[in-house]
Amino acid sequence: MSEPVRIQEQDFSQDAEIAALKASSKRMGGIATFLGCARDFSEGRDVSQISFEAYGSMALAEMRKLREEAISKFDLLDARIVHRVTTVQAGDNIVFIAAGAAHRAAAFDACRWIIDELKQRVPIWKKEVTPEGEAWVTQHP
Amino acid sequence: MIKVLFFGPVADRVETRVMDIDYTDGMTLHDVTHKVGMLYPGALSIVSFIAVNQEQVHDKQIGLNDNDEIAFMAKFSGG
Repeated sequence: MSEPVRIQEQDFSQDAEIAALKASSKRMGGIATFLGCARDFSEGRDVSQISFEAYGSMALAEMRKLREEAISKFDLLDARIVHRVTTVQAGDNIVFIAAGAAHRAAAFDACRWIIDELKQRVPIWKKEVTPEGEAWVTQHP
Repeated sequence: MIKVLFFGPVADRVETRVMDIDYTDGMTLHDVTHKVGMLYPGALSIVSFIAVNQEQVHDKQIGLNDNDEIAFMAKFSGG
């Protein structure tokens, strides 16, 4: 079974991630997921590609901490976080988060918390390629 | 030797991704930050986070050890 926290170039399978999450416990009554994908429009400009760069060792360590904290804070049964670091086209998958809990409220809350914290704490940067040139992205809400 | 890493927008500004600085006894993070600021004026203005050995630090007076890895990073934009 794949690691529950990963940084990778290749695309991921949501079905495979959810299956791995479900396999961790039969007490799981609710799974919430977040899929982040690449938009073709940002800040009034067309976007053709997005390139990602990461401080790999720190990013992975921070994502592992995030998972552990989320499991403890929301009493999750399991959680998975996968982030791609490569160049993606509009519509491509970027990040996937799945949180599994006994009941739905904890799963929803944890999923939202993980993606919000990831954006604040994990050293990954994205650069948008537009017809006007390339630009590093400052944080989106 | 202290290994200094730059990523993303900071790497673009300094036009390099890695730099080695000779380690001296008693060296602090402030010493390295000062040196980077002298070599690459303007680069530090977009640095929001500094990590020593993959851990974020806020106190520039902390002492360094030989072979430490320091990263200068702009605000994150993953996800």
